[in-house]
Amino acid sequence: MTFGLTLTAKMAASFKELTRKIVKITNTNVNFGSRNRLRNSFLRTEVSACRCCSGESAGSTHFGFETVPEGEKAERVYKVFESVAQKYDVMNDAMSLGIHRLWKDSLLHLMNPQPGSKLLDTAGGTGDISFRFLEYTRSVRERQLRHRARANQTPSWQEIAAGYGSEGAEPAESRAVVCDINKEMLKVGKERAETAGITTGLSWVVGDAEELPFNDDQFDVYTIAFGIRNVTHIEQALQEALRVLKPGGRFMCLEFSKVSNPLLSRLYDVYSFQMIPVLGEVIAGDWKSYQYLVESIRRFPDQETFKEMIEEAGFFRVQYVNLTGGVVAIHSGFKL
Amino acid sequence: MAALIRSLRAVRSLRGLGSAVVVKTRPASQYSGLRRGFHRAALLRLADDSKSDQTVPPPSHHEHYQAQESREGSSTFSTEQASASDPGTQHEDPRPNTSYQDQSGEQAEDYETEDQLQARILTAALEFVPQHGWTVEAIAAGAETLGLSAASAGMFNNGAGDLVLHFVGQCNVQLAEILAEEHNQVQLGQAEKKKTADFLRHAVETRLRMLIPYIDTWPQAMSLLLLPHNIPESLKHLSALVDDIWYYAGDRSTDMSWYTRRAALTGIYNTTELVMVQDSSPDFEETWAFLDNRIGDVVNMANTAKQVQATGEAVVQGLMGAAVTLKNITGMNQRR
Repeated sequence: MTFGLTLTAKMAASFKELTRKIVKITNTNVNFGSRNRLRNSFLRTEVSACRCCSGESAGSTHFGFETVPEGEKAERVYKVFESVAQKYDVMNDAMSLGIHRLWKDSLLHLMNPQPGSKLLDTAGGTGDISFRFLEYTRSVRERQLRHRARANQTPSWQEIAAGYGSEGAEPAESRAVVCDINKEMLKVGKERAETAGITTGLSWVVGDAEELPFNDDQFDVYTIAFGIRNVTHIEQALQEALRVLKPGGRFMCLEFSKVSNPLLSRLYDVYSFQMIPVLGEVIAGDWKSYQYLVESIRRFPDQETFKEMIEEAGFFRVQYVNLTGGVVAIHSGFKL
Repeated sequence: MAALIRSLRAVRSLRGLGSAVVVKTRPASQYSGLRRGFHRAALLRLADDSKSDQTVPPPSHHEHYQAQESREGSSTFSTEQASASDPGTQHEDPRPNTSYQDQSGEQAEDYETEDQLQARILTAALEFVPQHGWTVEAIAAGAETLGLSAASAGMFNNGAGDLVLHFVGQCNVQLAEILAEEHNQVQLGQAEKKKTADFLRHAVETRLRMLIPYIDTWPQAMSLLLLPHNIPESLKHLSALVDDIWYYAGDRSTDMSWYTRRAALTGIYNTTELVMVQDSSPDFEETWAFLDNRIGDVVNMANTAKQVQATGEAVVQGLMGAAVTLKNITGMNQRR
């Protein structure tokens, strides 16, 4: 597996560079307590300025292409996902033509988890990543056991004697914790787990990505798939991720991102704004939620900016991989 | 539960409040990927002071540090001695608040770069190679002995290839040191100078003996080195090795023989390595006998080449003489 550091989308203009420099300089002189809030609004101002939107005041954030007060965003996002929860998986398949399964498989492949790892699947909702994680680690564990059994075909009496002592030593089980702020999504996920027959190794926790209900240094891998753009304060979510990860732990984020190829970008825009809300109305009966979805994708920072945000939070060896030409990007960082 | 954690975190953030401003005044843009420093913290802090002294040198002495470290690490072919104290200390010392260490504004003693950490992980992983083979599992197990999560094995984009290349580089560095040491001894007059053939034999044997602990899995390592994306690196290591050996053998040639000598030694080394992996004689006697024969062949070849050249010259001179005599006899040489 090799990371290809693909070039990001063409930067909008030197204006964006200039605003970013100004943001960085002002940020360093700001008091810690209100740093996050101000930084968030500065970043958003920079993003919105580039999109020629009207300036926003501190304390407000974007909800799709709308501007809403910060407190309101979480509530509105909650309502969006509450209404789409039942048809979430069907809509995913319809909108991405099933390609989202490949994206999630790529995420797991990149993660290459060892058996015995603990995963925190934030904004895990219906549990796609967790199911794949458990399946992956279980098949790897089976392969290891088979390998070991094959190697022990004709054990010498010394090996048999040595095996007696370690009778009780069980290798660690892989565990996944699905954390989501939305109870409806978790409910759907639990039902799916029952139908899939996954009983052990899975937990369902209600929690806010900006304030996780876990102790420090708990998890080997933290993933957030298609969830971080819905978080009001992304930096807080990143810092929480850093907190709950073990030293050496890995942060992985699968999220929609900027398409670099201009032709593909045009097609993608047309598809997003013309087709997806229509599909939403037809299949799930909810135009507005899917309008919010495609708008929120456009509001999310591009690959390089997000990489810098992750580095700011304190992760090391931050890299990203583009999938499907940049429609989706996987960012990865380590807590070292 | 979340409220309790919130209050704990509030206390912690108040503690870090004063120093946090100092932390953030260092803009992230100063760090390039390779030279990012980070605190090793108590988990990675080693109990013995001698090791901590070695971490002081700045990144520019990175190579030298690696050489020292690799010598220490591989002199016992296990890092148990170095990292045995780690699991012990990590549970006793609470992880220090990194902002405290930053207060002075200067680098703390146990600051190291990502590269150094990667080197340490790979060195620790070597002891798991007999058990897991040259795979990512070995790297994950090595990371765990250092107190890091197994997920940190994802740092290595080339996976097992990184491990093999690291080992090969380490062995080459060790060999260079041994040869330099012997060279010094000869300079000081404490040992006598070996003949070229003996020196080559000694150098190749020393280098191949470093493979003995991993000889069972070495075919897997060789196949990894032959993968197309690893070939440039492995060729670099091989040519550096051969160059080093010839340099210490005293070769200062600047003509065609520079190339022919290195090509010959490369051939000798590779073929002897292949013989070694399938040799089952006690202490690899047959391998060393094979090595002797190959070096003897090369020396013979060199002597034969010289003889052929001398003979050729003699023959040419003889022919010239015969021609002149013939001319004299027929009287064509006389000037009338």
